[in-house]
Amino acid sequence: MTTRLTPLALSITTVGAWGLVLAVFSGRAELVVVVVPVLLALLVTARAPATPDWSIAHAISSARVFEGERVMVTVTVVAGEPVALLELFEPLPSGLRVVSGHNRGLFTLARGQRVEWKYEVECVRRGRVSLGTMHARCWDRAGLHAGETAMRAPWQLRVYPSVLPLRRLPGPRRTQSSVGNYVAPAVGEGIEPGDIRAFVPGDRIRHVNWRASLRFRRLFVTQYHLERNADVILMLDTLAEAGAAPDTTVDASIRAAAALATAYLARKDRVGLIEYCGPFRWVRPDSGRAHHERLLEALLRADVMFSYVTQEVALVPRRVLPPQALVIAISPLLDARFEKAVVDLAARGFDVAVLSPSPIPLVQRARRASTSVDLACRLWTLERNARAEALRRLGIAIVEWDPAEPLQAALVGLTGARRRRAAAR
Amino acid sequence: MLACALVGYPLLIAPATSVLTLGVVALALCGLGFLLGPPVVVGGAVVALGEYALALWLAGSPPRLAGAVLFGVGVTLLLQTADFGWRARRAALGPGVVASQIRHWARFGVVAGATTLAAVGAASAASASVRLPWAPALATVGAAVALVAVAFAVRRPAR
Repeated sequence: MTTRLTPLALSITTVGAWGLVLAVFSGRAELVVVVVPVLLALLVTARAPATPDWSIAHAISSARVFEGERVMVTVTVVAGEPVALLELFEPLPSGLRVVSGHNRGLFTLARGQRVEWKYEVECVRRGRVSLGTMHARCWDRAGLHAGETAMRAPWQLRVYPSVLPLRRLPGPRRTQSSVGNYVAPAVGEGIEPGDIRAFVPGDRIRHVNWRASLRFRRLFVTQYHLERNADVILMLDTLAEAGAAPDTTVDASIRAAAALATAYLARKDRVGLIEYCGPFRWVRPDSGRAHHERLLEALLRADVMFSYVTQEVALVPRRVLPPQALVIAISPLLDARFEKAVVDLAARGFDVAVLSPSPIPLVQRARRASTSVDLACRLWTLERNARAEALRRLGIAIVEWDPAEPLQAALVGLTGARRRRAAAR
Repeated sequence: MLACALVGYPLLIAPATSVLTLGVVALALCGLGFLLGPPVVVGGAVVALGEYALALWLAGSPPRLAGAVLFGVGVTLLLQTADFGWRARRAALGPGVVASQIRHWARFGVVAGATTLAAVGAASAASASVRLPWAPALATVGAAVALVAVAFAVRRPAR
């Protein structure tokens, strides 16, 4: 523990010295008397402070939360010896905000006393938060002497990206072999009627199409389309970001990726994740609740990082990027390397759709409004429109999303764009 | 309240415009100090001490030692309470923190007042028998206090 005199000791000394100076100049005994209590207060500092003996423990109401949720932090302080005045302060990272109570506390503790101190934080940004360094200051009663130390009582909090509700999703052009929710072109067991053909021995009676059979006076059966799942690959651009935390383009992209992953997994699809941050980081496509957790963990780690490495999309293995997969690229299109990767994928025959969280409203919100900012944003909009048009000419469906607007609205636009493109083919 | 009492007492000794002006400045500084921080309160205490000295000089009355003891205790408590108030801002206060601080200040006021009165009594008794050149003696004490304060301020913190 580092002990020191506080600024109050210096202040009292100053006032005492000033009183003596006035006493000398005025020649009044009262001023000397005034200084005596001040000097007595200073004498307190000459006493050696007692060695503090106390411990702290942390508890949080939940170790895994989503963005926007609140966590109650409980700090328990136990004193082995009496503590005159203990000041505790726990600095919080920018992703957490105190909403009730305080993250600084003052306590007076008797021997063996146990005090609980609670405050509530709101998790404003996704991430893995490691906390537990508590700064402590032991004051004497007069506030003239303080001992400082830092204690570790580690606790971890995982803040997952908030999952936006989605009802309609862009459908894949091709399906896979497992059972799912999409109507496949192939016929077999299903509930969506397809073709009608003549009855052959072995067909089920319940598949007989009685209306056609009566009309043609021979037995016909209805064939049904298979219902299959699809592989969906979410390709996340973390090469660059714009805007101010917690509303950067990467934050918006991650929220969109979490929402899409949750919605596709609920449809029994296999969902994979590829993060492009120079090198590629990926999660192989799979389905199920455990895989949902795996994807959210990967999104927790996702962030912009500087790297000299720029990998080609051809290096991504087939098991991570299956040929029949629907690739949803989520990118603010700030970096040309990501655009090149998307064009490469489209050229290799992948079903690619681009969801582009627009950086312009985020930057406008982060900066003070001015004519120059307005002009720059208008020019930026023109440039982004030109780049989007270039991608559309290459047959890639692209839709712009203002992160302040619901994601569902943008996805409806993406579905429409894909339908128009398919009809044009 | 403490600041008002400290500023008001010199006006009882010498109700002059100059004393009132200094009192208003001291009160304003103390008021601002509760918003801006303890250093401004220290400024207020320094001005209040100046106001007290001016009132004594203008009045030219016989020494009022009991009032001086209360004024000294009041100045010290003003500085301590302002500092504690600043520390307690935007902080969760544990059970009994304020009560124990008030008990400490009350105890300090009584002990400091009693000790000072005893010292004053002893000094009065001594001055009746021994004649000392007070001004040089006080200047020496002031210089010693200043030196000790500087030594405290620049000493390395113990680890």
